[in-house]
Amino acid sequence: MAEMAAQPSPSAAVQAEDEAFYHESGINAAWTGSRLAIGGLAFLFGCFAFAYFYLRSLNSAGRWQGSGFVQPAVWLGTTIMVLALLSASVNWYGLQRIKAGRKSIWQIAGLFALAMGLAAVALQIWQLTTLPFPPGSSGYSSVFTGFYPVFLTLQLAVLIWLEILLARSRFIPAMSFVEQPPTVTETQSVQRFQASLSSFTTVWSFMALIAFSFWFLFYAL
Amino acid sequence: MAIETQPERAEPTGRGPETAGGGERPWWQHMGAHTGLIGAVAGYFLGHWLGNFLGGDFARSSLSDENDVAIVLGYSFAVIGWLAGLGVFNDLFLLMRGKPLPEEPRFLGQEGPGLAKYFRFTLDHKVVGIQYLYGMIAYFLTGGLFAMAIRTELLSPNYHIIGPEQYLMVVGEHGTMMMMMMSSVVLGPFGQYFGPLLIGSKRVAFPRLEALGFWLTPPAYIILLSSILFGGFPTGWTGYEPLATQATTGMDAYFFAFGLMGISMILAGFNMIVTIINFRAPGMRWSRLPMFVWGQFTVSWLQVLAVPVLVGACYMGLTDRTFQTAFFTNQLGGSSFLYQNLFWFFGHPEVYILALPGFGIVTEIISTFCRKPLFGYKVQVAGLLGVATLSFFVWQHHLFDSGINPDMRPLFMLTTELISIPTGFIYLVAMGTFWKARIRFTIPMLFALAFYFNFLIGGISGVFLSDVPADTTEHGSFFVMAHFHYTIMGGLIFAFFGGLYYWLPKMFGIKLNETLGKIHFWTMFLFFNTTFLPLFALGMLGMPRRVFTYARNLETLNDWVSISAFCLGASMLIFLFNFVMSMAFWRQREVGNPWRSRSLEWQLSTPPPAENFRRVPVILAGPYDYGVKDALPVADLDPPPGVIGSAYAPAARGPVTREVED
Amino acid sequence: MSSAEIPLPAGRHAAEREQRRIWWLVAVWLLLSLAACLVIWFVWYPHLPPGDMTTSARHQQFDIAVLAVTAAPVILGVFCYFAYVLVVFRARPGDDSDGAPIYGNAKIQAAWIIGTSMIVLWLFVFGTVELIVPAGAGAGEGASPIWKQSGAQTVAWTPGTNDILQVQVIGQQWTWSYRYPQFGGMESTVLDLPVNTPITFHVTSLDVIHSFWPYLLGVKADANPQVDNVAYTTARQTGSFIVRCNELCGIWHGAMTSNGTVMTPVAFKVWATAVQAREKANGTLAALPPYALTYDPTVIPQLGKDLVNVVGVTGAPGYFYGPGNPVTP
Repeated sequence: MAEMAAQPSPSAAVQAEDEAFYHESGINAAWTGSRLAIGGLAFLFGCFAFAYFYLRSLNSAGRWQGSGFVQPAVWLGTTIMVLALLSASVNWYGLQRIKAGRKSIWQIAGLFALAMGLAAVALQIWQLTTLPFPPGSSGYSSVFTGFYPVFLTLQLAVLIWLEILLARSRFIPAMSFVEQPPTVTETQSVQRFQASLSSFTTVWSFMALIAFSFWFLFYAL
Repeated sequence: MAIETQPERAEPTGRGPETAGGGERPWWQHMGAHTGLIGAVAGYFLGHWLGNFLGGDFARSSLSDENDVAIVLGYSFAVIGWLAGLGVFNDLFLLMRGKPLPEEPRFLGQEGPGLAKYFRFTLDHKVVGIQYLYGMIAYFLTGGLFAMAIRTELLSPNYHIIGPEQYLMVVGEHGTMMMMMMSSVVLGPFGQYFGPLLIGSKRVAFPRLEALGFWLTPPAYIILLSSILFGGFPTGWTGYEPLATQATTGMDAYFFAFGLMGISMILAGFNMIVTIINFRAPGMRWSRLPMFVWGQFTVSWLQVLAVPVLVGACYMGLTDRTFQTAFFTNQLGGSSFLYQNLFWFFGHPEVYILALPGFGIVTEIISTFCRKPLFGYKVQVAGLLGVATLSFFVWQHHLFDSGINPDMRPLFMLTTELISIPTGFIYLVAMGTFWKARIRFTIPMLFALAFYFNFLIGGISGVFLSDVPADTTEHGSFFVMAHFHYTIMGGLIFAFFGGLYYWLPKMFGIKLNETLGKIHFWTMFLFFNTTFLPLFALGMLGMPRRVFTYARNLETLNDWVSISAFCLGASMLIFLFNFVMSMAFWRQREVGNPWRSRSLEWQLSTPPPAENFRRVPVILAGPYDYGVKDALPVADLDPPPGVIGSAYAPAARGPVTREVED
Repeated sequence: MSSAEIPLPAGRHAAEREQRRIWWLVAVWLLLSLAACLVIWFVWYPHLPPGDMTTSARHQQFDIAVLAVTAAPVILGVFCYFAYVLVVFRARPGDDSDGAPIYGNAKIQAAWIIGTSMIVLWLFVFGTVELIVPAGAGAGEGASPIWKQSGAQTVAWTPGTNDILQVQVIGQQWTWSYRYPQFGGMESTVLDLPVNTPITFHVTSLDVIHSFWPYLLGVKADANPQVDNVAYTTARQTGSFIVRCNELCGIWHGAMTSNGTVMTPVAFKVWATAVQAREKANGTLAALPPYALTYDPTVIPQLGKDLVNVVGVTGAPGYFYGPGNPVTP
């Protein structure tokens, strides 16, 4: 319709329309991207899981674990895994709260999740430096010392995402999570944040699942 | 009219006041490849020192006097320094401080005319596409030079031009340069440039990841070439263990470069999938998607899912060589078969990463130059999806003779032979498209026809290889070489050149010289076939791969092949001459739609506007509706207000949008 | 739009003409395919690689010939079709019109899918049969082969009986050597074999991956360290052959060749016992490690104990773990 209200000129209005279209695309992209990332990560970790099972079943030269094999400290490994699980659970809980409009609860939960995640990474690094076996002494030791540096690096990378979300949340007023903000820009900003947070939670929960699975492989099986 | 022969003129980009911010500083004050280089050099020295500091106590490889840990850390820090120098991390640091990112139009507008933007970390997918194009041509020609060296050595079985170590270095560099760097062709020149255009999108989902994907390729190239300084790597492009653990320090370069390229491929594929799924214009249903985009889509899935396994395998190879895990050492609980399984689990989807885009490119070309709809659009889509899916289930056909579990062999023979069925669909569609067509023999069409010819031979020879008894003679011989050169070079590279002649007018507004182009095509086609067809015979007559000597009675055939290969190299020079002269000197303008194609990218100006489309287009029809009376144009480039607004369901509507939607 | 040059038939005569042209095309294709198949089968087949020196080679010859006969009509069909359409449907100069808007044809698509599937299934069945019947078709089957050859497993091999000859093929950088367990584990650098005898190759490596490829014997088996890869064949003709390495194994991979001869069983027995006696006499046999299906060159039992006590344990590829290391194989 040609008769628009006085404020926006037609080209600005359709520009806003186009931007809103891409805003929507961007939000959906966060969802798609997180699931796709999980797929790619699954294949990466699957590579190590395959190495684990393959070398275990082959037991070349009897050295899947071999004589004199000492298991890495179970209490340490379990603590690291539990920290990862707790971090994901706390963050998930925080997500539910922020969806209900309580931003500060998520911020606290997010900080705890970040702290626990970093603690898990730090403890894992410490464990890797105090292993009871050299890296190449058995198949188990190879897969163990090969897998965990990759895993903790990826955990660190995902934790950077959490830090970004926490930093960003400082500049979004808490009211934006309770009712819709007055301007389009702010609405889009909040929606982008929410999409990113949901995607992060999915990915971080996946990482916790992987932490548990590999704990099971290395300590329980 | 349905097809724009005179698309709208481009908006003047980069000459207005909005580029004031970027146009004032000289180019060397921006972050770009030059700062990246400084970062890379600094990073290398830092990493090397750190490696010597950390790993100096490790017993060094008894065959060399270099510390693998120092070299690998040197490469790692060099890459990080390179990226930091390019400015890749700037936005990340902004985000970590909670600041919002600068708006993209500012970035796009900042680029402006001139060559400087091609040396920067840029968010414009078209610039990234062109960066990939030049990169890919450089990598291809480098790999080709190595091939010329190989064929020179193989002229005689007992007169040797280069020593055995240098020969293996050349063989490995040729193979790895081609397999590793050519993978970027996929989502490289044409995918990055035209993917968003073809789906009607102004942008891609993750432009920073896309640009990062490109900027990881120059360090990968340099690192791969740096292997020569260390004596090269002796394993060929497959990097088989335990030879790779035994090898000297040049091997680190191979694993590192390949892993780096793997990360690049994953990022490129990731971005492409999300863009195709989420950023399609309204009306771009899956059944209207151009076939090239289907090709990109399926290939991206292969990249995101199969390449992580390569990254894992390269990482394991590096850990075996640096901090001495025993993944691939039998005596310590590892297994050489582990590497083979992991590598080929990636390796087979990799070759389909190389083949599928070729299918996509030639399909676009034949539809335009037959001026007919594609025969059996859904069949071809099924073919692409079928090939992509099945490619995950065939990898053990590389391991038929290797001594792994024998009862897997009939299964993998079956899956490998099954994969020829969806590949056959591509031929069904092509053959049907040519029926009752109006065929124009332009240069892109010639390349497309050569593609079908070559790939048929390559594909059928693949059936010979998939048959386990026949594979006993053919595995690891020059028969395999002929097979994959026919499919990859005869397939993908011919398709690439076809796409180049087809799309260059759209990318640069310049047409390559016709006469030189035809000479290039005919010499390339002729000499390609004379070079690689005899290789089938050589393989069947008992010549293994990667050897510098062979049975004396094969010398004549080898000489024929070598001389043909030199002529093939010469035909590439003709192309290079044509390319350089046309782009830099003759500059024959060709704006508009010279091929009268219906496809969406041709309805835009040349070059396309900074944001591709002024408005989000609404897609009205598929791009292949030639010959249909009253066919709708493929898109409405100027939809009335409110159409876009109603095309999505936003979570909330503010006061501004409410005004518009009536 | 010029009317005289449109190849697209408009009337009934034109339709009939097109029908006839299609029949001509089919006829040409059938004729060419027949000619190609006959040439392949009668002219080419007897000379196909890898020759007919052994049972596995013969079966591979047959297999390749059948594959070629199946593939030739397919290739010729596609080429004939393309030749036809490129000539008949090319755009005449000055013709700017579009082609016919054909989006698909369900019958043709179905026929193609069914046809290609049938060809593929035929190839699979045939290939599996050809794999099983000649006891693995000469390909390496790993340590636990499923398709074995018939014959008697004996400790000592007797010519003229159905005894299987065991030959161990050892690949190392960069040479081949062969051990005959039925002759006391003696080692030879030439691969001499008896004709008309079932042969079992046990292929292994001492260092990196090699691949045992006696081209004329129609056998190919990868040599992996600490892995026993079994392949079978039976030679049917006497003659000499060359063994090449088929898996890149380092700088002299291209020079890693070895000679072999297939001779009469009696002559073979004479040769083998002579070598065995000679090696016993000059102490070679005693110096060799005892015959085993795989070898680990890093484990030297006599030296092992001393190394453990003094400097720690050697690990591949040559690195040492300190004595404080709790892991001692």
